[in-house]
This record gives sequence, structure tokens and C-alpha cells, in this order.
Amino acid sequence: MKQRNTGWIALFLAPTCIIFLLIFAIPLVMVFATSLFDYRLLPRTFEFIGFSNFIKLFTQDAKFLPVLKNTVVWIAIHCVLHVALGTVLAFILYKKPHGWKFVRVTYMIPNIISQSAIAMIFLNLYNAQYGALNSLLKAIGLEHLQHNWLFDTATAFPAVTMTWFIFAGYTTTLVLAQCLSTDESIIEAAKIDGATSFQIDRLVMFPLVKRMIGTTVIMAATYMLQMFSMIYITTGGGPGVSTANLPLYLYTTVKANNYGYANSIGVVIIIVGFITMTLINRLFGMNKED
Amino acid sequence: MKRMFACLLSLAMLLALIGCGGSSSQPSNSEDSASSKEIVIKYPTFQVGANTAAPVVAKLVEEFNAEYAGKYRIEVEDVPGDANYADKIKVMISSGELPPVVYGGGYKLLDLALQADLVVDLTDAVNADPEWKAMYNETWESTDCRDGRIYASSSEGQLIGYYYNKELFNQAGIKPAETWEEFFDNCDRLLAAGITPLAMDTADGAWCTQLLLGAMIAGSGDEGLEFMNTSYPTNYNIPSVVDAIAKIQKLYQTCTTLDANGGAYENAANNFFSENVAMICNGPWMIGDFSDTSKTTEGFSDKVGVATYPGGFVYDAPIEGMFVTKQSDPALEEAGIAMVKFFTSPKAQQTALETQGMVPAGATVEITQTALDAFPLLADFLEQASVCEKRGNTLTGLMVPGLEDTFSAELPNLASGADTPEQFCQVLTDFATANPVT
Amino acid sequence: MTHFKLSPKQKAARVFSYLFMALCVLVALFPIVWVVLSSFKTNREILSNGLQLPSTFSFSGYKQALEMAPILKFFVNSLIVSFASTALNVFILAMAGYVFAKKKFRFKNLIFGILSLSMVIPSTALMSPVYTVITKLHLYDTKMALILVYTALNMPISLMILRSAFAAIPTELEEAAYIDGAGFFRTFWQVMMPCAKGGLASAAVLAFLGSWNEFTFALLLTSSTSTRTLPLSLSYFTSQFSFNYTAMFAAITIAVLPSIIVFSIFQEQVCSSLTAGSVKG
Repeated sequence: MKQRNTGWIALFLAPTCIIFLLIFAIPLVMVFATSLFDYRLLPRTFEFIGFSNFIKLFTQDAKFLPVLKNTVVWIAIHCVLHVALGTVLAFILYKKPHGWKFVRVTYMIPNIISQSAIAMIFLNLYNAQYGALNSLLKAIGLEHLQHNWLFDTATAFPAVTMTWFIFAGYTTTLVLAQCLSTDESIIEAAKIDGATSFQIDRLVMFPLVKRMIGTTVIMAATYMLQMFSMIYITTGGGPGVSTANLPLYLYTTVKANNYGYANSIGVVIIIVGFITMTLINRLFGMNKED
Repeated sequence: MKRMFACLLSLAMLLALIGCGGSSSQPSNSEDSASSKEIVIKYPTFQVGANTAAPVVAKLVEEFNAEYAGKYRIEVEDVPGDANYADKIKVMISSGELPPVVYGGGYKLLDLALQADLVVDLTDAVNADPEWKAMYNETWESTDCRDGRIYASSSEGQLIGYYYNKELFNQAGIKPAETWEEFFDNCDRLLAAGITPLAMDTADGAWCTQLLLGAMIAGSGDEGLEFMNTSYPTNYNIPSVVDAIAKIQKLYQTCTTLDANGGAYENAANNFFSENVAMICNGPWMIGDFSDTSKTTEGFSDKVGVATYPGGFVYDAPIEGMFVTKQSDPALEEAGIAMVKFFTSPKAQQTALETQGMVPAGATVEITQTALDAFPLLADFLEQASVCEKRGNTLTGLMVPGLEDTFSAELPNLASGADTPEQFCQVLTDFATANPVT
Repeated sequence: MTHFKLSPKQKAARVFSYLFMALCVLVALFPIVWVVLSSFKTNREILSNGLQLPSTFSFSGYKQALEMAPILKFFVNSLIVSFASTALNVFILAMAGYVFAKKKFRFKNLIFGILSLSMVIPSTALMSPVYTVITKLHLYDTKMALILVYTALNMPISLMILRSAFAAIPTELEEAAYIDGAGFFRTFWQVMMPCAKGGLASAAVLAFLGSWNEFTFALLLTSSTSTRTLPLSLSYFTSQFSFNYTAMFAAITIAVLPSIIVFSIFQEQVCSSLTAGSVKG
């Protein structure tokens, strides 16, 4: 039977493999290969230059290091504070206080609607003239605290960070699901032993959901490493490069028709991603079997 | 193994089929002529919808299709947003397949297409027609010609001054300034009267701000004026530019609206339309908007005055015109040439002038009385512009490709004071030096 | 919940819990409610005070928004692209997932390992070459380009979900089908697919959400009205509606509301899909 099925197996795998080839494999090879070329549209060039693009990125490009720093800082903030926020809520909700289901669903809404919609909403919330934030400050008599939040050099970075940092619905949903799937008798046993609710959370529940938290940290890192639309719509990376990250910088470089250089940024994104994943896996012992 | 191969082959064919399905909706046109006599010119354009030139293009397409009925036909493809359009054309340049006719606009598309060797030489076609040839003067040559050959044909001129709100000017007791000292004095007096003087922006290339900046540079002396007439400058750290940037920084901080920093042209215009500010820099295509009640209130157009810049400067450069691209079917190239000729003819430019108040590119195009009556503000402006001795291109028009984005991204730092004028200019210089046009 | 007397410490913990929950709800709802309320205000009301409630409830902003921008066109584009890519994605990955879960063949682990690479490559790094590949295929600015790219982007997660879904089906069922004389495809289609319904639904929900909300590649690969999708149209509203804030808020509401309604109805399914998607294969 096995013999006769070879054709079918190939046929069943072929579409996936072809699409993988077109959208992942070929582009991946191209990213690495052309990052070694001076490959531009104007003037039309295609010339092997070795690692010059990378040397230029790290030593001559005044924009690149700040952009790399932004990316790394954002990943760190997201992996630590954002996931912590979602986890704390999940730990509150699994005890099923009044309205926990409502909170779970509501908190998920900003994660379900598109990032570009959230970005548009924040663009308006932060608007210097009619935005809700400045209106609120005015209403409570703190007019001197008003800012042009997204375009003031001092406030742009935190303002952009807030557009995704506070929406941890994804993390909450996943950690909560894991919490709810644990055996209630373990919790009951701990209670009978006289453990306080905080002790149960810390000593019993946390170890049980640690791997799920690890998963959400990985998701948070991936999400942040790929973040583009919200920055593009709100600040476009400005003022200067104070809110630009690697994908945004890559995009502007592609738009300037400098493909070789853009792809060397792509290589850096892949490397940053690889390093981050390795670190998180180590930290949460994700590779160990139970 | 054979079976597997057969399966793979059939799958490859399926995929090829999908591929073909996709590419048939692409503007590749050569095949159409085989089946019918009529040649279809697919014309992607951003001049649709809310775009000022949309009615003109629609009218010209209709006229062209009527005149060449049975021979050529234009099919318009909507690509709203001029930056989108430029992106699309750039992609098509890199893939080597352009629509038969491309409108260069303000995006240096002609140079990009020439680099890829995709542009049809129009020299012979233009020389064969005296009326067409007569339009090519010195300014046209810098825009539409390269190395003595003609590649494009312009239809729209770019004569730009600024608009002011007469009512607000009266309240402050001022008149349009003749010198830059007077201009800044005017701003102070407007501020004293509780009026915000200027509409400015930073996003999308900061159109209004760069017009103001360029005019200041040009008005600063010979060095500045020369700068405003040099294509693709690489050094922005010259005194005339740094000084003008310093003034712009001050204007951002004292003389404009809260939303200028981060705002785009549309926000600036909105401030002018709703009488929040007294002045805005922009070209004659804006005149139609002053009486558009979806953008402003009834009777606003009566309050608007127009002026050229202090020191007798006005922006004057034709916008890069239409060009024909190389096609596998020579008949399609012929059709493209016919279209370009039709769309940029003096008659077409007159149509644009009379319907939308667009300034013609050709000096030989007569400014008709009909147009002057329909757009009194334009008549006023053309008269003022005719006596201006200093002229130049816009800053955006001069910049190396891509610098607009850096300019736009860095302006907020200038506005908030995080950059000194010297630092700001250094950022521009760095980008321009790293991405020169050779 | 147990109902013993609460110590002050426990009381404080309880107060903190409720405060925290209230804050989260506020954070999640305030921006959206503010946008919806603003869509009923007049331009002047919006500009004068950002927090004021609308004086009248008028739908004129919605009417203007629909007139000013081809929102419905974008909406339809989004629907077509999302449905097509979800269907394609789930179908071809069900085939692949089935084979990986149930069949033995040469290079199986190698092929699976290579395909799993797609999990760890940040897709934004591939922007420039994907753009080149799509251009070379003559698919730039077509819906097909987006369908293809979205099918691929949602590949890793669908592969994981579907492989484990098929793996969970008892092999006896499959063998029984063979003994009844069903061929390879019929076994897959009539026996295995119905059994993997849960996994298929989870994969479909995630693929659909991913495609419906995707922005980066849509921005990169399309330019005309006939291909652009809803998330892109939002940024295009900024300039289009800068003279009419009411219409802009209405447009945002139109873009956001369908997702919220659909989510409210299918929230259990969506949440369980998310959980399924996060479990490592």
C-alpha cells in the first residue's frame, strides 16, 4: 500500500511546498544573498560588495543603531511588562470573581480588531487639538501637561509604546485557559493546607502555567519584532528615528529602491529574532520535555 | 516515481494557470491588438476622485476616445493617492513593464524609467509638429529633456505663491509683505492681534513648509537663489539654508497651529479653510477649493487674497510631463505618442486652465479671458507673478529621490527644538551625499 | 468562591482585583467608545471639546464617509482576499497536515523541519524579496498576490494545528476506510476531514483573523482601489477626511464594528482557536 501512495503523498505535500518555496524559501535565500550586493534601482546597480552593507549599517549609518535599540527595547518591554500585565489579569480572573467572563471578552476586543484601526484610534486620541488625552488634561486643570504626544521628541516613544503595551488580551486568554484547565483538587489541597491565595498563585499555579507564559513571551517577542503598521500609521517612525524600528526602516529603504541594503536589514531582523528566541527558550526551559 | 512526476507536473500547470489569471488583469496590452483593430491604452492614474485634476483627465479621456474612435481607446485605472501611484510605477519600472503612457508628476519617474531604458524618444515626433515643438523652451528642457533628446511633454506649470486671509490681515492692519523683514513683522502683528499667522505641516514631505522654506532660501541672496535652481543638491550646510531653517524653527514654535507638528498638507489646508490661520503657501490648483463648501464655508473665497513671496520670488517650473514607454507592439507606442500629444496640446492645457484654473506649462498657451473671469484670483496672481524676477524650482522638486521622507521625519525634531538648524541640515546633507543621483 | 470572613489583607486583595479588572475594561473600551461617540458629533463639536458628548445623534457622518471613500469596495476586497486565502490555506495545509500526521515516507522529518523554519522567520524581514517574487510573477497589485502571501503567512500555525488534529484521530478509522475500498483521496476527504473538524475550524478562524487584519504586505503589494483592503483604507482616510472629522470617525467605526460583532458572537470559538494555536506541535 505504501508504494502506491507515494504519488498521493507528493501531491498532498506539493501545494504547501510550492507556496513555502515562493514566499519563504526563495525570499529567504534572496535576503541572505542580496544582502552582500550593492543592489539599487537608481542608479541601476547590481554589484557584489561582500559585507560592506553590514559594515555600513553598524559603523556609518547614524540611523541604524538607534533603530536597533528601539527594536530591542520594545521587545524587552513587551516580553516583560506586557506579558506581566496579561498574566496578572489572568491570575485574578481564574478565581472567577463577579464579571470575569465579561472582562475576559472585553479585554480581548482591542486584540481582535486590526492593528491599523487601533493605530488610527490612537492617532486621534493623542491629537494635539481635539484628542481625548489633551481634552482630559484640560478638563481637570492640568493644561500645562498637554503635549503633541506623538510628535514631541520627548513623548513620542512612550506614546507609541502605549498603543500596544496595554492590550494584553491575548496573554490573558491563553494563561487563563491554562489556569482553568488545571486540576481543581490541587488548589483545594493547598487551601486545606492553609495556603493563602497569594501563596497558591505563586507556589502552585505559577509553576503549572510557566510554560504557557513562556509561549506568550515568545508570541510577544515575535509580535514586537514584526511591528510595523501601528508605527507607520501613528508617527511614521519620527520625530527623526525616535520611534522607528527595524521593519519600518527596512520598508523605507525598500521604498528608496535600495534593495541590497534593505535586505541586510532583513538579515539583522532574522538574527535578532533568532537570538531572542534562543534566550526565551533557555529562560523558560521550553525545550525540555516534561 | 513517474506518477509523482506526473502529479507534480499537473500541479505546476495549475499554478501556472493561476499565475496567468493574475497577469491578465495587469496592464499588459500588446495582445489586445491581435484580436481587434482598436488599440486599448490602459492608463493608471491618481488624477481621479477628489484629485483637483480629475475632471480635466476625465474630459480629455472622453474627447480622445471620441476623436480616435475605432482606432485607439484609453481605459482609466484608478490609483488614488499620488504616492501610491508613484509606488506602483516604481514597481513596474523594476519589473520592466510599464503602461504605455506614464505621467511623471513630482516623483522623478522619468529618470527612473530612463535608467531602466524604458522610455521612447519623442524628439522626432515633437520636431515634426511645429505647434508641439514651440512649447519647448529652457525650463522645459531641464524637466523633460535629457542629453538633448526629448523624452516627455508637460501639461501643467508650477507657479506658486501664497494665499492670505484678507479679513484677518485687516484685523491686524497689515498688507502682504514686500521684504522678509516685513513678513516677520507681519507675523508679530498677527500674533499681537490674537491670530495664528501660518499654516504649516511636517508629514508627507511637508509641502507647505518646504514652500515657505524654499522661498526664504531663494530670497536670501545669490547663493540661495542658485541653490533653488540646482537639481539634486548634496550640501545643505550652506549659510543661506541654515539661516532659513533657523527661521522655520522659530515659526514652528511661535507662529503656527498646535497640529502643525505631525500634520500633513490636509491639516494645514483645513486650518486655512476654517480661518484658524492667516496664510498658507500653495499653488493655483487650490483656488477651486476656496469655493468648495464641503471644505469651507460659503463666501470664504471672497476673503482670500494671493501674493508672490517677499523679495519678488515665485516658484516657476513645469511639472515633469507624460512620457511614452517602450512596448513590444510598435502600434501601441504610436498610440501612446498620440495620447501624450493630445493630453499636452495647447488645447488640452487650455481646457485644464478653464475648468480647474490650472496653470499651463507652455508659454505659448494663451491665458483666455474665460479662465480669467472664472478665476479672478488666478488673474491677479499671474499678473503679480509676471513681474517677479527671481524664480526657482520647489525644494521637494530638487531633492534627491527619497530625501522627502527623511526631511519629513526630521522636521518634528526641528520643531520641538531637539535639533539645532545645523544638525537638521547635516541630516539632509548626510542623506543626499549617501544617495546621490549620478 | 468560599465565603469565610475575609481578613483585611484579603479584603485589600479583593479591592485590588476589582480595581484592576475595571481598569482593564476601561482601557479596552474607552478608545472605541470615544471613537463611536465622536462619529455622531459635528466637526465643530469635535474641535471644540474632545470629551463632550454629542448634542444630537445624526448618522450624516456615516453617509458622508460612505460617499467620500470607497469603503464598501475595500470591504468587499477584504472579504474576497480573506475568504479565498483562508480556504486555500486550510485546504492545502489539511492535506499536508494529514500526510505528516498519518503517513510514513522518506525525508518526512527533513521536509517537516524545513517547513517549520517558517515559524521562526520574521516575515517582515522578507518584505523586499517577496515584493520581487510577486512582481516577477506579474502579480503586483492583484488580489491573487495577497491571497498567495496570506496563505503562506498563516502556514506555520495552520500546519501545527492541523497536524495535531489529524494525529489525534485513531488510525483504526483510516484503516477501516481502506478496507471498505475507499481510495487515498476519499479516505482523506470523507473520513478524515470530518473527524478533524475542530482543528479545521481553529485553523480557519486564525487564518481568517490574520488575513483580515494584515497591513504590511497589503501596503507593499497593492496600489489601486480594486485591490486595496480595509486595514489600508484606514490610513488612507486620514488625508481623505481631514476636512471632515465626523466622517473620519464614522469610517473608523465602520471598519471596526464588524470585527467586534463577529467576535462577540464567536468568542468561545475564537478563544479556543487561539489556545489551540499557541500549543506547540
